[in-house]
Amino acid sequence: MIFGEITLGHYLALSSLLFLIGLAGVILRRSLLIIMMSLELLLNAANLALVAVGRFQGLPDPQVAVFFVITVAAAEVALGLAILVAIFRIKKTTAADQLATLRF
Amino acid sequence: MIAYFLYLILLLPLIAAVSIRVFLHPFPRISVAVSTFACLGSFVGSLGMLFSGSVSGEVVAPVLPWIEWAGFKANFGLMGDPLARGMAVLVSGVALLVHIYSIGYLEKDPCRSRFFAELSLFVFSMLGIVLADNLVSMFIFWELVGLSSYLLIGFWVERPAAGAAANKAFLVNRVGDFGFILGILGAWALFGTVGFSDLPARVAGVAPGWAVTAVGLGLFCGCLGKSAQFPLHVWLPDSMEGPTPVSSLLHAATMVVAGVYMLIRVFPILELSHVTMTTIAWVGGVMTLLPALIACQQNDIKRILAYSTLSEIAYMVMAVGLGVTGPAMYHLVTHAFFKCLLFLAAGSVIHGCHEEQDIWKMGGLAKRMPFTAFVLLLGTIALCGIPPVSGFWSKDAIFAAMAHSPGLAAISMGAGFFTSFFMLRMILVAFCGEPKSEAARHAHEGSFFMIGPMAVLALLSVVGGLLPVEKFLGYSHASEHASWTLWLSLVLAVAGFVPAYSFYRRATQEPLNFVVLRNKFYVDEFYQRVFVSTQDSFGRLADAFEGWVVRGFLVRGSGVMARASGQGLRLVQCGQVQVYAAVFIIGVLVLLGWLWKQGALR
Amino acid sequence: MEPLFFWILAVGLVVSASALVAFRNPVTNAVCLVVALVIQAALFITLEAFFLAAVQVIVYAGAVMVLFLFVIMLLDVKEEARRTPPWVKIVGVLSVGGVAILGLTKIVPLFPFTQKTLHWGQGKGGGSASELGKLLFTSYSPLFLATGVLLLVATVGVVVLCRKDPES
Repeated sequence: MIFGEITLGHYLALSSLLFLIGLAGVILRRSLLIIMMSLELLLNAANLALVAVGRFQGLPDPQVAVFFVITVAAAEVALGLAILVAIFRIKKTTAADQLATLRF
Repeated sequence: MIAYFLYLILLLPLIAAVSIRVFLHPFPRISVAVSTFACLGSFVGSLGMLFSGSVSGEVVAPVLPWIEWAGFKANFGLMGDPLARGMAVLVSGVALLVHIYSIGYLEKDPCRSRFFAELSLFVFSMLGIVLADNLVSMFIFWELVGLSSYLLIGFWVERPAAGAAANKAFLVNRVGDFGFILGILGAWALFGTVGFSDLPARVAGVAPGWAVTAVGLGLFCGCLGKSAQFPLHVWLPDSMEGPTPVSSLLHAATMVVAGVYMLIRVFPILELSHVTMTTIAWVGGVMTLLPALIACQQNDIKRILAYSTLSEIAYMVMAVGLGVTGPAMYHLVTHAFFKCLLFLAAGSVIHGCHEEQDIWKMGGLAKRMPFTAFVLLLGTIALCGIPPVSGFWSKDAIFAAMAHSPGLAAISMGAGFFTSFFMLRMILVAFCGEPKSEAARHAHEGSFFMIGPMAVLALLSVVGGLLPVEKFLGYSHASEHASWTLWLSLVLAVAGFVPAYSFYRRATQEPLNFVVLRNKFYVDEFYQRVFVSTQDSFGRLADAFEGWVVRGFLVRGSGVMARASGQGLRLVQCGQVQVYAAVFIIGVLVLLGWLWKQGALR
Repeated sequence: MEPLFFWILAVGLVVSASALVAFRNPVTNAVCLVVALVIQAALFITLEAFFLAAVQVIVYAGAVMVLFLFVIMLLDVKEEARRTPPWVKIVGVLSVGGVAILGLTKIVPLFPFTQKTLHWGQGKGGGSASELGKLLFTSYSPLFLATGVLLLVATVGVVVLCRKDPES
């Protein structure tokens, strides 16, 4: 069944796998920059799921949603990188585990 | 309007006490005046009540509703039947005399205001007992009187012995009150009422049995505590730590006889049971003799008088037990006069000898304080029951009732013998012979304030026997005169003087040595060993429990647990973004799983 | 034909995503991300969302990745040190991954709508720019305007964040 026709399930499985890989990247990598790249992977997984569902169910609305997601992701990356640069200026490091001052 | 008069008599001293305590503390002279005038007002009011209306009629005051619940009625009302009115006159009159005496006795004491406030409080409470119309409100005033006694005994707060004596008085009274409460509840359970006016009617319908006996004995417990009869008599000698006016008013004339008054009030209940009556009579009988024996070896002038008070009250209790309440009240009235007089005279002696109370350090006072010596002698004659003074008539009335029980007669007449013995001993040692100390050498009479009341009381002691008291007390003079009791008691009383005279006429130190008597039959030591130490151990146990379980475990423990959980929970805030993200994801998964299980995801 | 395209693209996507997560050199990671984004755009085309594919390439692969590269060069981000993450993280990720894969194989067949197949040309065909534009400017126009404001705010924020403090 898996290797027959391509169904919606295939696309959703692919999307989930991508999401998991992105999650692993967020949790396991130390550099903030790489973490942000993994965040992009997460967003892309969501986009893929949205478009797939929209096509197979015949809805046009998920594509509009993806449009907005892409826009917001771009804005988020811009701001995130600006923050990263600002932090780097002060702390001289981008390792996530060394930026843990908001603790008990 | 007249009906509210009773309330006025009752409340005047209370108003005085409260106003002194609240406003007038810094003004001793004004406090003294306020207190004395309040007492005067109560006295005048009581006299007015006594003579208004018919002698045997009742003056009833309106009742203030208080407790009315499931058939239990205890309202706050005052009752002015002849007994109450007569007693009110007695109480307020003697209190007034003691007020005047205290003006002189305490003229140099800086805490006078407090004393007079507490004295007024006492007068209010005592009048409450006298005028109460049911057992519950009487009990409230009973406790108030106990409180006043506590405050007054411990008046000199810098003396630890006074504080200890006040504690002892209150606690021993409490023990008696426990039985009293049981008696009150039993009375309600058996008779359906606690009011004095409908008690006789209700009692008539109940058959005697062990329940009635138990109730009677319970009520008698209250009398045991307040009137200091065996086994709760131990507080009265210690209460002499208070100032002498207190000893004379509370512990001779009025408070200690509240127990007898209460017994007379509930007499219909007591009458029902033969066992109760016999117990009361024999406790009274034994108690006439025991303190008389102890007093023969005491050296403190006030303690001697205290033991004689115990003995005299026992006469009244015995009379109640024998069924004759009239003579009991008669003796109560005359005893109030001469005992108060004796205490005031003793106070004058103490004041004159500059606070010396040991009779072996006095001596030769007859020449230096003639008036005091004279009135003391009059009081002694009254106490010992020598005719024609008042004490003779009242004691004789009691002896007459004993014609049918030779055992009691023997004991109480023996007590009369010893009473004469120790009283003459006291007079001879303190007043005759040579002064045995510097203080005695410079003794002097007190001021007018002290002499005046003593003179009035001396007069009353002498002629009190002729007062028409029986109209108020429901007793008639001429009935029941058995001549053998009269002559035998008289002979024994006079005979008591003889050995005293021979032993003590020229004694400079105590010739007789009865250790048992001097140590009061070791009753206090027994109580200390058995009761006080067990209470102590319980107290220690409770303290340990409180320290460990309540304070340590519960209070500190809850604090410790709160802090520990806080310390544990704060480890969640690690500051690492990735950890937060991971926890977030796990949370989302859990939520999804839960929703899946709930079937919310199609 | 469709399964072929799908499988090639799917495998490529997974491989480049894994490479992104696994390699340590930041430039390598950036390049892997570009590859993943382009493959994603190709997948959009197989799903007949042509406009979105174009937007993906232009915005994501074109602008966002350039930003990333600029920052890498600006900060001179070094190769990440070789370090094993704490065992907690590895265990967590592996367990979550295992559970997820297991769950997927079990759960996805439960939903009937996932069994649908759709061949090229049989769909509604809403992927063109005009179709999307119609929706954007009518039903979703408030959101569209809000997104405009959002971009403005982001711009201002970036400028503010990157200002150097005035030296006094």
